[in-house]
Amino acid sequence: MAEKTTQGPMDAGRFAALADGYGSALHRWPQAEQAAAVRFAETEEGRAILRRAGKLDALLDRHRVEQPSPALHGMIVAKAATEVRQVRRRRFWWLGFGLAGVGLAGAVAGLALVTVVNPDIPSNHYVMDANATSFGDAGPDADQIEEDL
Amino acid sequence: MGADPDEELVRRIGAGDPAAVQAMVARKLPRILALARRMLGDAAEAEDVAQETFVRIWRHASGWRQKGARFDTWVHRVALNLCYDRLRRRREWTTDELPEVADETPLPDALPGDEERRVGQALLRIAPRQREAIVLVYYQDLSNIEAASAMQVSVDALESLLARGRRALQAMLIGDDGDD
Repeated sequence: MAEKTTQGPMDAGRFAALADGYGSALHRWPQAEQAAAVRFAETEEGRAILRRAGKLDALLDRHRVEQPSPALHGMIVAKAATEVRQVRRRRFWWLGFGLAGVGLAGAVAGLALVTVVNPDIPSNHYVMDANATSFGDAGPDADQIEEDL
Repeated sequence: MGADPDEELVRRIGAGDPAAVQAMVARKLPRILALARRMLGDAAEAEDVAQETFVRIWRHASGWRQKGARFDTWVHRVALNLCYDRLRRRREWTTDELPEVADETPLPDALPGDEERRVGQALLRIAPRQREAIVLVYYQDLSNIEAASAMQVSVDALESLLARGRRALQAMLIGDDGDD
């Protein structure tokens, strides 16, 4: 949102346009133009423009709204406890799902790595039974077999 | 744009601090209620909007991050959207669009003590976008940049809405062009 800046003196046209929009109170005017506006406001023309805008401001100032009731304040505060707790619980669950997801992804990645590094050996080269180890068959008759050889 | 004065409070609400909740309601409720009251002209509907706005504040507090707009500007945007939902619902039987042109017929002269109601009626008769601009800048004291951001328009467009809105109010309330 760009704001106009007035470096030099403000002209009557711009001053009147700002008064038309923002009213007679200079604190509501764009900050970048306030210094120039304050200077112009001291002129006869500036005072006349502000006086005109001030008529409507005086009417607008009469419109007041009631302060919030303590009951409304209380209802809003009571609702906060439930809402904030629910959001925190939801976040906790999402964190749990996230961690579970990371764990699952790790397991899948590990399985994939094992599959790549240690692929299945074709069955016509080697048959491993339940008793076989890296050092040979560890079954109950293994020693006997070796001796027979 | 400097540091957001609400940021610390919002962080504490997100962490579940009950004192921060109380402080936020005390700080924002009068402003939100006033905004909705002037936009809608109905006290009960304004209270509903205020409650719904706070529900959204509680839901978003823990994830709130300042991305350009201040928290207060975001709260105004939320409350205004809720007001527009209600304004549209009121007009659904005729059209989806909210009027851009104000009814500038002068209001009858007020009896003593009746000026406040007359101003309220005049505010409700100007186009909603003009009313929104005036409420944000004049009554809510938002800067032109904050108001333009809340309305999602340029500063030039905001100034145009303000000027048209004030001219319409002047025609209704003062009945002339405001000259001496």
